Amino acid sequence: MEKINIQFTVNGQNVSVEVPPNKRLLDVLREDLGLTGTKEGCDVGECGACTVVMNGEAVHSCLVLAPQADGAEIITVEGLAEGETLHPLQKNFLEHGAVQCGFCIPGMLMSSYALLKENPNPDEEEIKEAIAGNLCRCTGYKQIIKAVKVTANPPNHS
Amino acid sequence: MIPEIQYIKPTSLNEVLQALANYGNEARLLAGGTDIIPGFHIHSRRFRDVRTLIDISGLPELTTIEEREGALHIGAATTFSSLMRHPLVQKNYPLLARSAAQIGSVQIRNRATVAGNFVNNAPCADSVPPLLVYDARIVVQSKTESKELPLQDFLLKPYRTQLRADEIVEKIILPPLPKGMRGDFYKLGRRRSVAISRITLAVLAHMQDGIIREIRIASGAVTPIGKRFPQLEKMATGQKADSDFLKELAIKLGEEVLNVTGLRWSTAYKLPVLQQTFYQTLKRLCQ
Repeated sequence: MEKINIQFTVNGQNVSVEVPPNKRLLDVLREDLGLTGTKEGCDVGECGACTVVMNGEAVHSCLVLAPQADGAEIITVEGLAEGETLHPLQKNFLEHGAVQCGFCIPGMLMSSYALLKENPNPDEEEIKEAIAGNLCRCTGYKQIIKAVKVTANPPNHS
Repeated sequence: MIPEIQYIKPTSLNEVLQALANYGNEARLLAGGTDIIPGFHIHSRRFRDVRTLIDISGLPELTTIEEREGALHIGAATTFSSLMRHPLVQKNYPLLARSAAQIGSVQIRNRATVAGNFVNNAPCADSVPPLLVYDARIVVQSKTESKELPLQDFLLKPYRTQLRADEIVEKIILPPLPKGMRGDFYKLGRRRSVAISRITLAVLAHMQDGIIREIRIASGAVTPIGKRFPQLEKMATGQKADSDFLKELAIKLGEEVLNVTGLRWSTAYKLPVLQQTFYQTLKRLCQ
């Protein structure tokens, strides 16, 4: 199998990798680029642990073949914080008990990030719809939904 | 595991047709990958012989939605996200928007495509019932031939359509709807998201003074492939939509489905649920 060269941006940085075409974006992120924040859960697009934002849309990176990412803009969980400063979503996830084992969290963050980019003021139903493709076995989802709500509508917002 | 494959990224429909002509039998078109990649992982027999993937995702010639002479032309590789958001789909073909919005999850809808859904033709394909009641036609292209045919004729059996190895569905054409038709789409899955449909119903009806002037009925996930019910539609046309008649129609739907499937392990549950949900849909639409 001949390797293909793909070029895309990840978290604002240009990258160029040589990969066999049967590698997935998930594998390229984790193995070629060392960005292990994005997790592998089910391999079939049902758990959402692999969720990244591609060209502004939340997608399962386990279902994107690496060559399909050529020319794309990818944002992973590593791209949320600015230096040492956590993204408000990350801060609120931590403060509201949304993180237990942590495995679903990168995917939850990216789905929430994509939601807020498109809909800065979602109601509870819209938040649930946005994370419907992300499974959590620990929290029961309430704290996650709360964290997203609080991020969209911070109390004492001046 | 995704097998070792050759990856081709055509930059135009012509290049796609050439690639299909060259690699036909060992190739599959790849758009969203939401059927084929899980299919590889579960070693599905449907994809065992695939050696080449032809990536058509995002091709402009296959992702436009436009109105032409009152009909809506939908590019085959339109994602469900794009489909459900398009103002013309929402306004003129709302059952399609509604079914698109209930497929999978946000992440799936951002990649999965409408033609991918009905070319895969699982018994539960959610795009099929709405497309059938909208009398969808499709345009199929190969290097040597271009043809247009009703979607109904294109779909053959579970996971089988008329598509030949060197062909691609280019677009779906939805004819303008007769005035006065209102509709409803219903999906029952084991949960509200990322759920394989157990029952889907698409119904369009034109009511006048309590009489059914025209009705179109399609189901999914209850027969081997999605289907219309012409006998039922004929039976209902011109009839008064009182509760007794709607009950009769619902019972008849169950009978027709049973005729197709015979008694299955799921019949004891599915049949009364199908009849009841159809009855409720009819009541909402016709009364």
